[in-house]
Amino acid sequence: MISSAVLRGIGSLARTRTAFTAPLAVRCYSHAKVETDEEFDSRWVTYFSKPDLDTWELRKGMNTLIGYDLVPEPKILDSALRACRRLNDLASAIRILEAVKDKSGPHKEIYPYVIQELRPTLQELGISTPEELGIHKV
Amino acid sequence: MSLPKPAMRGLLAKRLRFHLPIAFGLSLIAAAAFKFGVTEPRKKAYADFYKHYDSMKEFSAMKEAGIFESVRPTGK
Repeated sequence: MISSAVLRGIGSLARTRTAFTAPLAVRCYSHAKVETDEEFDSRWVTYFSKPDLDTWELRKGMNTLIGYDLVPEPKILDSALRACRRLNDLASAIRILEAVKDKSGPHKEIYPYVIQELRPTLQELGISTPEELGIHKV
Repeated sequence: MSLPKPAMRGLLAKRLRFHLPIAFGLSLIAAAAFKFGVTEPRKKAYADFYKHYDSMKEFSAMKEAGIFESVRPTGK
């Protein structure tokens, strides 16, 4: 029967997708080289480290990064926050923190971990978290 | 006390891998339930009605009731 064959197909599709944890460039049919997590992270750290990054590139980078199926690593966020400092953009810096919390979704342990890892950077650059400003609740 | 690093990648993929087969399965079950709960009994009801339907008898009954304009009841 057609429906049982389709169900078996969906079940086997779910089971064989062992590479579901990698967010990018993992297709069953492409021969392109799969980028590792470390390569992905360092690519983005480099992107935000550009000394003459302009505001458009900062916003574009953040929007692209938010579109991926992952919460950005603290080192990428550190690089982005330093770019905000170079551009004198405190609003975007705090917005980046709000975006991390939003990307975590139901996984409430991610945001406190990221803030913990970013605490030295936040202190150095003088960035307050949304909770410290009281703007974390509607 | 420092927090351990949680999983930060592929969270949506993990959720979909769990929920999509369930969603697909439930949709198929809903479709099957509608087919066997509604459409098949309906088709059977029509088939049973018309299995021994005598159209001429029904026509004569309607004719005698006088509802037609093109053919009047017998004796009128």
